[in-house]
Amino acid sequence: MTTVIPFGPQHPVLPEPVSLKLEIDDDVVVGVLPSLGYVHRGLETFINTKDFNQTTYVCERICGICSALHGITYTRTVEKLFDTEIPERAQYIRVIVGELNRLHSHLLWLGLFADGFGFESLFYECWKYREEVLDVAERICGNRVIHSISKVGGVTRDLTKEHIDMLLKMCDSLETEIKNIEKVFVNNYTVKQRLVGLATLSKQVAYEVGTAGPTLRGSGNAIDVRETPDWDIYKDLGFKTAVEKDGDCYARTKVRITELLNSLTIIRNAISKMPEGEIEVRVKGFPTGEAIMRTEQPRGEVIYYVKGNGTKKLERLKVRTPTFANIPSLLLMLPGVKLADVPIVVLTIDPCVSCTER
Amino acid sequence: MGMLNLVLTNISRKPATRLYPFEIREPFKEFKGRIVFDPENCILCGLCQKKCPPDAITVTKADKTWELNLFRCIMCTECVNGCPKGCLSISNERAKTGAKEVIKIAVPIVDKPKAPKAAPSK
Repeated sequence: MTTVIPFGPQHPVLPEPVSLKLEIDDDVVVGVLPSLGYVHRGLETFINTKDFNQTTYVCERICGICSALHGITYTRTVEKLFDTEIPERAQYIRVIVGELNRLHSHLLWLGLFADGFGFESLFYECWKYREEVLDVAERICGNRVIHSISKVGGVTRDLTKEHIDMLLKMCDSLETEIKNIEKVFVNNYTVKQRLVGLATLSKQVAYEVGTAGPTLRGSGNAIDVRETPDWDIYKDLGFKTAVEKDGDCYARTKVRITELLNSLTIIRNAISKMPEGEIEVRVKGFPTGEAIMRTEQPRGEVIYYVKGNGTKKLERLKVRTPTFANIPSLLLMLPGVKLADVPIVVLTIDPCVSCTER
Repeated sequence: MGMLNLVLTNISRKPATRLYPFEIREPFKEFKGRIVFDPENCILCGLCQKKCPPDAITVTKADKTWELNLFRCIMCTECVNGCPKGCLSISNERAKTGAKEVIKIAVPIVDKPKAPKAAPSK
C-alpha cells in the first residue's frame, strides 16, 4: 500500500517554492507528481509594454543568481537580430562577468548542498568564499547580484587596471580555498556514504530526456554550449568541458567543483588576452525578424527566442531555462530513492524555480 | 593533521563577519547607491522619464518639477547615461530605505522672454 506525502512548496532545503507529491511505499519513493506555478510573474507578456533596450533589465530580473547571463543572452539575441558585431573588448568583459556569475552560483549551490546533507560548517565555508566573488562583482558592475553589465551593442562599464588586479588577486585566493573544500566534498567518508550511487542517471537516458548542464555532464555527456560556434570566444581561453562518468549525485558535485576551477582559468586567460579599445557600438533602428541564441548558464543551457515587428517593442520573447529541461530527469531519478535522500536528489539538479516560471 | 592546521589558522585569523549596525563597511567607489539630481542645469526635456524602465521618474513641465519614486527605482542608471545636460549622477552612498516614497524637486528654470514677432514686411 502506498502513501502520498507532499514535499514543498515550503521546505527547509528549498530556497524557492516547488511542490512534489511523493508516492511512498514503506520508505522508498515509487512515483512523483510535480506542480509548479507559485512564483509566475508573467514577464514574457510584460515586455510588450517596454522597448527592446528596457527589456534587458526585465530579462535580468528573471533569475536572481544567473542575472548577468540572462542579460548577456538577451542582448546577444537582439544583436543577432540586428546583425551587428560588438567590439572584442566588450565580449571579453561579458565572458569575465559571466564566469563570476558561474563562480558565485556554484559556491552558493555547494553551500546549500552541504546544508542539505547536514554539514553546516562546510555550508558556512562555501558562502564565505562566495562573498569574495560578490565583492569583486560589486566593484566591477556596481551591484552585488543584479549586475546590469550588458546592453544592446556592448557593455555599460569598462574594466580598469585596479579591477584587473583585484580579479587576479581573487583568482589566486579562491583557487586555494576551492581546493580546500574540494578535499572535503571528494574525500570525506560521510559525504561519500550519502552521495555515491544515489539517484543514478545513465548516459543514454540523460541525453534522450534532454537534460542540461552539470546534470547532463555528470552522466558522461560532454555537451557544453561554450564549445559550440554559438559562443565561440571560449575557444582561445583554454576551456575544457568537465565530465564525470558515474551519473550519480557524487559525480554531479565533482563536475561543479571542476567547473569552478575551470572558471578561474578562463578569467585569468581572458584578462591576459583582452584587447584595448571601444566597449560598445551604437545600434540604430527597430528590430524585425526572428532570432534564437543560446548560452551556458551555471545550471545548463538557456535558449532565448525573440521576434521583432519593426516597432521599438518586441512582439514575442520566449525563454527556455535549464531547470525546465532538468525536471523530467528529476522525475526519473527519484523513484527507488529513500525518503531521507529526496532533498539531496532535488538539490543536485540545482532547481531555480523563478527561472522556470518567469 | 589537517584538522590541527585548521584550528591553528582559525585561532590566529580575524573573524569573517562584522558587528553590522555598529561597524559599517565603507561603500566601494563604484557602488550604485542612489541617484542624485542637480536641478540647476535641468531643461525639463523628459528624456530621463522616457528612458526609465520601471517608470520611476516623472517630469512635469507645467509645475516645473522632477519626481523620483524611490520604491520603483531599480538603479539601472539608464537616466544618468541618457541625460543630455548631465544633471543626474550616481552617488555611492546607500539610499535610506523607506524614508520617503517620492522625492519631488522643483526645477528653477527661468522662462526665456519671447522674441518679439517680426513686423510683417510691407
